[in-house]
Amino acid sequence: MTGRPASPVTEDAPLLDIESLTVGFHTGSEDASMPLQGVNLRVPRASRMSLVGESGSGKSLTASAVIGMLPEGAEILRGSIRLDGEELIGVPKRRMRDLRGRQIAIMFQNPRASLNPVLTVGGQIAEVIRTHSDAGRRESQLRAIDLLDQMGVPDARRRAGDYVHQYSGGMAQRAALAMALSCQPDLLIADEPTTGLDATLQQQVLELVVEQVSDRGASLLLITHDIAIARQTCERTAVMYAGRVMESGPTASVTSSPANPYTTALLRAFATVDEGRMYAIPGTVPTLVGPLGECPFASRCPEVGEECRDGVPELRTIADREVACVKA
Amino acid sequence: MHLAVYVLRRLAYMLVALFGVSLVAFVVTRLLPGNPAYMIVGVMADESTVIAVTERLGLNLPIHEQYFRYIQQLASGDLGDSWRTRNPVTTDIGARWPATIELGSAALVLALAWSIPLGIVSALRRRSFSDRLANALSGFGVSIPEFFLGMILLLVFFATLEWAPPALGRTLGDVPPHTTGFYTVDAILAGDWEAFKAAAVQMILPAVTLAVTVGAPMVRVTRGFMRETMASHHIRSARALGVPERSIVLRHALPNVLLPVSTMGAIMYGYLLGGTVLVEFVFARPGIGKYAIDSISESDFAPVLAAVLLSALSYLLVYLIMDILHFVIDPRTRT
Repeated sequence: MTGRPASPVTEDAPLLDIESLTVGFHTGSEDASMPLQGVNLRVPRASRMSLVGESGSGKSLTASAVIGMLPEGAEILRGSIRLDGEELIGVPKRRMRDLRGRQIAIMFQNPRASLNPVLTVGGQIAEVIRTHSDAGRRESQLRAIDLLDQMGVPDARRRAGDYVHQYSGGMAQRAALAMALSCQPDLLIADEPTTGLDATLQQQVLELVVEQVSDRGASLLLITHDIAIARQTCERTAVMYAGRVMESGPTASVTSSPANPYTTALLRAFATVDEGRMYAIPGTVPTLVGPLGECPFASRCPEVGEECRDGVPELRTIADREVACVKA
Repeated sequence: MHLAVYVLRRLAYMLVALFGVSLVAFVVTRLLPGNPAYMIVGVMADESTVIAVTERLGLNLPIHEQYFRYIQQLASGDLGDSWRTRNPVTTDIGARWPATIELGSAALVLALAWSIPLGIVSALRRRSFSDRLANALSGFGVSIPEFFLGMILLLVFFATLEWAPPALGRTLGDVPPHTTGFYTVDAILAGDWEAFKAAAVQMILPAVTLAVTVGAPMVRVTRGFMRETMASHHIRSARALGVPERSIVLRHALPNVLLPVSTMGAIMYGYLLGGTVLVEFVFARPGIGKYAIDSISESDFAPVLAAVLLSALSYLLVYLIMDILHFVIDPRTRT
């Protein structure tokens, strides 16, 4: 932990500042699993940042930690999460609930499952509005209709009274976005928002998310396993692997000239076809039991050297980005 | 789908189902050993009397003809006569079914009142006191036989503590003037407080017995559905947007739980309305279950068949009502 003093909120201070975030599952035994091994991530104000990585790399867990909704048994062991200068770790439940929806909002994948089947779509949005403001039933309902309309739900007045099973996948994601943005959050976390949608819808939903977030001057933290999505939507990208950020910086330079061999390998795996076969990174992700003693990618890295085994590389600022690799 | 069309279709299915039940029940009762004619005339009667009675009852006809006659009878609303009570079965049932419905309804209300709240609360707090209590009570209720629990309650509250009156039928006081056939309701309608108390007090122990055994599986089902719902994506989403816990439980989770749980409640009510033989026996309550058993043991066919049909009818009716309710409540069945 770097133990930086709480900096005064200035214009260039990041909106979300995650430092050395370490999360473990207390299993009762000594070798508890540690799925997050010191995550460092900064999301500037009014910007769009993507968090890219394989499944199991800790992207969603990082998001859960930010909104204070870690799965049962998981616990933050070290680190800090600051939103607008306010430390979120250890914040009272009441305060956290107040922040959720009003300052940080999140939308999950599978929008149809994230809306309640027995409440009307408009009613659910209106309830979030009422939770965070003193709007009455009527006013919140009108605002909900207005939001659905802004998100491009046709005939919003009527559709607000419908239930989620009457919505298509794309429409449901628009409704979920309306709900997430209903109280003007500063930060929207979108966790694989387009997984399960077809290519055309995916495009439309991503464009809408970008447009709506930018219009509101909010920031976006987009979690995805798909580098192509990161390229399209976010000016900055952080690459996660084995519970750590391996590289972060402007999306264009990270994806065109990666500085970390892991990023290179991940990009290669995404390049559609390579000599008739898809590229797979050799080896497997290390089991995250206890703190690691070497670079987590060492056992699979084509450029591995002696120095990679000497400890976990810290994120270092190199030119326009941060890289966690001793060779960079 | 339009509700009226739906109900009509369901009623048609119901007729078919009742027809099937009557066929099976009819064949089974006729295949039972024992000629009711012997029971009617007594063991000392001579052969010609037996034959005469057999013919009068139509028992000498081939079974399909007997069934055909029975169905014709049913169609005109006649359930036949009981030779044991020497009454038309409709009269006997008219006198006994209210006792069963009254007890079954009281038991259901009690069962719902303890099982659903306990199931919900225990689902919310794993390994808490309420979770352990739910485990203990539902385990107890599921495993103890009804009649045994009834006897224990009688032993404790009547024989030992002397808080409860002796288990002797539906009331030890005055029978209130007949309006609905439910003594408690009739007593209230007549404004007779004493009669109400006398009837209600006779219902407490049997209703508690049934409420424990019927409520036990409902605790488990409620807890299961509640846990499942609380872990669902939409609850997570609502929480992630700051919706307060009170609303999460009452507004977001509860309706999703009550829909399946109410179906279970309907199954239980159907069971209770068909007559709970053993509890009616233990508490000497003249209900349908006791009527059926008394009739079976004396080869009195008509009441047995009527009790089976009535039991089937109660299930089907309760299901129908439940489905109509779901049709109205659950947005997914509409559209």
